[in-house]
Amino acid sequence: MAQGWGDGLPLIPPTEARVQDFLVAGGRFPDELIAVLPPLRAECTVEKIAVNAVMAGCTGDAMPLLCAAIEAMADPSFDLAGLNATTGSVVPAIIVNGPIRNALDIPYQAGCLGGVAGPAPAIGRAIRLIMRNVAGQLINATSQSVYGTPGRVAGIVFGEWEERSPWAPLAERRGVAGDAVTVYGAMGTANICDVVADSADGFLDIIAKSMAYPGANGFLTSSAFSETLCAINPVWAEVIARSYPDMADVQAYLWDKCALPIDWWRPEYRAPIEALGRIGAEGRVHLTPTPDDVIVMVAGGLGGLHAAMLHSWGTCLTVTRPIR
Amino acid sequence: MTIQVLDPTASLAHDVADPGPDAGVLKDKRIAIRIDMLWRSWDWVSAIWAEGLRAEGAEVTFWRSCGRTGAEGEAAARDYAALLRESDAAIVGLGNCGSCTSWTIADALEAAATGMPTIAVATAHFEGLAHNLAKRGGRSGLRLHVLPYPLDILPRDQVDDIARDQYRSFLRNFGVRGGLAEQSAA
Repeated sequence: MAQGWGDGLPLIPPTEARVQDFLVAGGRFPDELIAVLPPLRAECTVEKIAVNAVMAGCTGDAMPLLCAAIEAMADPSFDLAGLNATTGSVVPAIIVNGPIRNALDIPYQAGCLGGVAGPAPAIGRAIRLIMRNVAGQLINATSQSVYGTPGRVAGIVFGEWEERSPWAPLAERRGVAGDAVTVYGAMGTANICDVVADSADGFLDIIAKSMAYPGANGFLTSSAFSETLCAINPVWAEVIARSYPDMADVQAYLWDKCALPIDWWRPEYRAPIEALGRIGAEGRVHLTPTPDDVIVMVAGGLGGLHAAMLHSWGTCLTVTRPIR
Repeated sequence: MTIQVLDPTASLAHDVADPGPDAGVLKDKRIAIRIDMLWRSWDWVSAIWAEGLRAEGAEVTFWRSCGRTGAEGEAAARDYAALLRESDAAIVGLGNCGSCTSWTIADALEAAATGMPTIAVATAHFEGLAHNLAKRGGRSGLRLHVLPYPLDILPRDQVDDIARDQYRSFLRNFGVRGGLAEQSAA
């Protein structure tokens, strides 16, 4: 702790024996380079991942997930250099698909975004410690985050409830079937609650319109483009899929309704928005450039009533990688 | 009892403390000014500075940083590299938030790595971040000119005044010789 290696919570000392045990369980060679991480532009080896994971309380069976997540975050499209320095309150969300969800006990049902007793907080914390200790993301030194987010301590690690999803798994739709991790630059999580809707259009309307608020990342004229993500509970998903069995149609519906009229903004905003070519038919501004940029997944408990939206950050693009 | 633990951190890259070459005499120099889609104040400041640079005989080219990820990002990287190949010196801004400072310093480091005179520009609140990122990028000596903060919320006439007030000190930081830079130093 005195070395500045921690997050303020107690740490498990990364003794050589513990790290060795972790490496053996993880089945990777310690000197294998996984990625170069900004802002330090430091080499993140399997050993550095193991040392930080031990400190976080993580077990060795999570090593393939940790390595895949770090690889994904280092993809230039994810803009980790900007993300780790930004004034924004962003943290990479780690979304897991495939059988490994159950093998690692990754939450995807009730309470999946936080609060389930299991290994997800330790996995998330391991990644946060890697960002701190290897990438060098430190508040007031390299990170300028004005507020930060609770997710910067133990991460946001959850899975998709594939067994209850009427659509193909998120990672498979993104080209990676089976065990996969998807990293998404999340400006926290926010709830969408509804007790009236009883149809696909009703649920999709309330989700889309809730996501379209003026200060959302996608509406900022400082971003050339962006994505957005929502998690739909299985109860709503089942109703929605009866009308929209094709996910592309769900995305298209959400994209269409996830918009605000240009006159919603004060006059000084309108010229920059117009200059970006963002004003569409009927004078509406869509949150994202295309329906493909609306990322949809199924997760959450069977209590229904709620969806979750995770707004994006900057032009950070979602990256999916296989877990090997 | 003492417990030996393994180091979870990574070490800094090899550091270059030298600020790199001075901009020298401006006449006939091709100077690239990197702007962005975030800060109108930097558009205004750099426009006034460009007038001064042109008055001293330099040829000024602006390049605007927009989307830096995906296909647009790959195209931007190619365009920026091409710009640097056709330039003799680079002025790179503006560091006025976290991510934009990160990209400002990254682009300045790329320019400096070619050996050309390079200066990054940031506002005072982000000066520390800019130095930290330059150091972590292996070039702690990177030239940095610091503008007042807050800047972007000021009206244009005030920003223009700041640009004019700062121009001579900017030239000195950039290592410009002759003309207005030396008049002000005298």
